[in-house]
Amino acid sequence: MSGWERHASSGAFGDGAVRTYHVSKSYIAGTFALHDLTLEVKKGEFVFLTGSSGAGKTTLLKLLFAAERPSEGQILVLGRNIARLRESAIPALRRRIGVVFQDFKLLNRLTIEDNVAVSLEVVGTPRREARARAFRLLKQVGLQHRRYHHPLSLSGGEQQRVAIARALVNEPEILLADEPTGNLDPELTIEIMDLISSASTRGTTVIVATHDHNVLERYGKRTIHLEGGRLAEDTPATGAEP
Amino acid sequence: MKRFGAILLSLVRSGFRGLQSSPVTSAVAVLTISVALVLGGGFALLVSNMGGVLERFGEELQVVAYLEDGLEPDEARALADSVRTVEGVAAVALVTKDEALRRFRETTGGGALLEGLDQNPLPASVEVRLIEARRTPEGLAVVVSALSGLPGVSELAHGQEWVEGYARFVALVRTTAVGLGIVLGIAALMIVANTIRLAVYAREDEIEIMALVGASRSFVRIPFLIEGTVQGAVGGGLALLLLYTGYLLALPQLEYGLELVLGNVTPHFFGASGALTVVAAGSGLGLLGSATALVGARSGS
Ligand SMILES: Nc1ncnc2c1ncn2[C@@H]1O[C@H](COP(=O)(O)OP(=O)(O)OP(=O)(O)O)[C@@H](O)[C@H]1O
Ligand SMILES: [Mg+2]
Repeated sequence: MSGWERHASSGAFGDGAVRTYHVSKSYIAGTFALHDLTLEVKKGEFVFLTGSSGAGKTTLLKLLFAAERPSEGQILVLGRNIARLRESAIPALRRRIGVVFQDFKLLNRLTIEDNVAVSLEVVGTPRREARARAFRLLKQVGLQHRRYHHPLSLSGGEQQRVAIARALVNEPEILLADEPTGNLDPELTIEIMDLISSASTRGTTVIVATHDHNVLERYGKRTIHLEGGRLAEDTPATGAEP
Repeated sequence: MKRFGAILLSLVRSGFRGLQSSPVTSAVAVLTISVALVLGGGFALLVSNMGGVLERFGEELQVVAYLEDGLEPDEARALADSVRTVEGVAAVALVTKDEALRRFRETTGGGALLEGLDQNPLPASVEVRLIEARRTPEGLAVVVSALSGLPGVSELAHGQEWVEGYARFVALVRTTAVGLGIVLGIAALMIVANTIRLAVYAREDEIEIMALVGASRSFVRIPFLIEGTVQGAVGGGLALLLLYTGYLLALPQLEYGLELVLGNVTPHFFGASGALTVVAAGSGLGLLGSATALVGARSGS
């Protein structure tokens, strides 16, 4: 354990939910999807992640829930060092993190209600309770009437809302959302973003990757701007709550 | 405990959902397993029936010592008494010339064949039953050699060669069955593993997504094992059904053939424990097959 880690996990750096320290990620030798990125997101904070296509937003989020490992540097998520996390410890970490994937990643063989319930069932929530909670979340994203439908019979925006319901259903400590409003019209965008920020007011740390300037302006939260895998700008919250 | 139950339930549920959602792959796995079990089980059935035939044959097995013509009844009785003392002999019955003639008439329905003869051509004989322990090719040989040395015995009739040949045949079939069973088992295992591996590949996205929402390795894998086991059990059941149908169809011919050789031997099918073994073998094949398939699969995390 390095001195930095000891500090971070012992709380000397306060209540960081996420800390990255000189993190680089290289998928192909010689090119960097992320380069020397150091940042901290505090517990309960709401952060936007922005930058043009290919800037490294998805890559950063993937590192945070251990779908990828950093090529260099250290990452602490909820006190766990992603660079050294044992394979067998990954599921336990992921159960504390809700993820809305850019490509949704729904299980096409299951109903949308079961899709939402599945993240409760993997931790052993009894089915009846899991379905009840899934239904409640589906109601919040306005899809209760489609509960028995399968993902492929839903529109892109509807699938995205299912993905959001699944990410929120187990009340995660961290919510990572990759373009969660990318397929939604302006009205639904506001509804969904309100849902996400309400999770934040309940204490969930939220990181949302988005291109949408309207969203960035409307919510006025801290915004981390990536460019070519590097941190270009870190703008603090304006305090202008919607 | 409640959590554990809930997890178990959802594992079983997703195992069955797997069966439901990939019916073609499942059907292929079930058929593969049942074909292997029909071959193996059919062979086992054959061996078991032959063993049964040999056993019954042993009960009926007797040695007949034909007596020299012109032996006085007293001498015949004395001979029978001395036969009784031979090691391995359980019971002895003396069949006089008259008795032999009577039997012959009975079995041929009147015995018109012998009517023209002025004297009874049939020899007297001593029928010897063997004790249980001597009802083997070796035991039979010992008794026969003891009997053949007795004065007054003209000829011995017994199934020595037949019993030996038959026992050798059964041993051969048994060895072949074990060998064939092992080869078939391995072949079936490989085919089943490949079939299930296809199912795993087809659902790798699903495995990956499950892992991404925090499912443990075993939570993702156990449904596949359940799926394989169920496919195996169904394959075993199907194999039993096919074997029984085949058995019923073959029975008339079989009975006729066996009657020719041995009389009142009835063939038999698997009993409850045999049937259970077939189904269990199927489940085992399915379970092993899916376990083998998962070894090569992407971990999903
Ligand atoms: N699995 C991978 N293999 C190779 N290169 C990759 C892989 N994933 C991402 N990259 C590359 O890494 C860089 C960053 O990609 P990333 O997906 O993080 O961008 P992004 O900011 O999410 O873009 P977008 O807004 O289009 O979603 C890109 O140049 C991309 O081509
Ligand atoms: Mg992206």
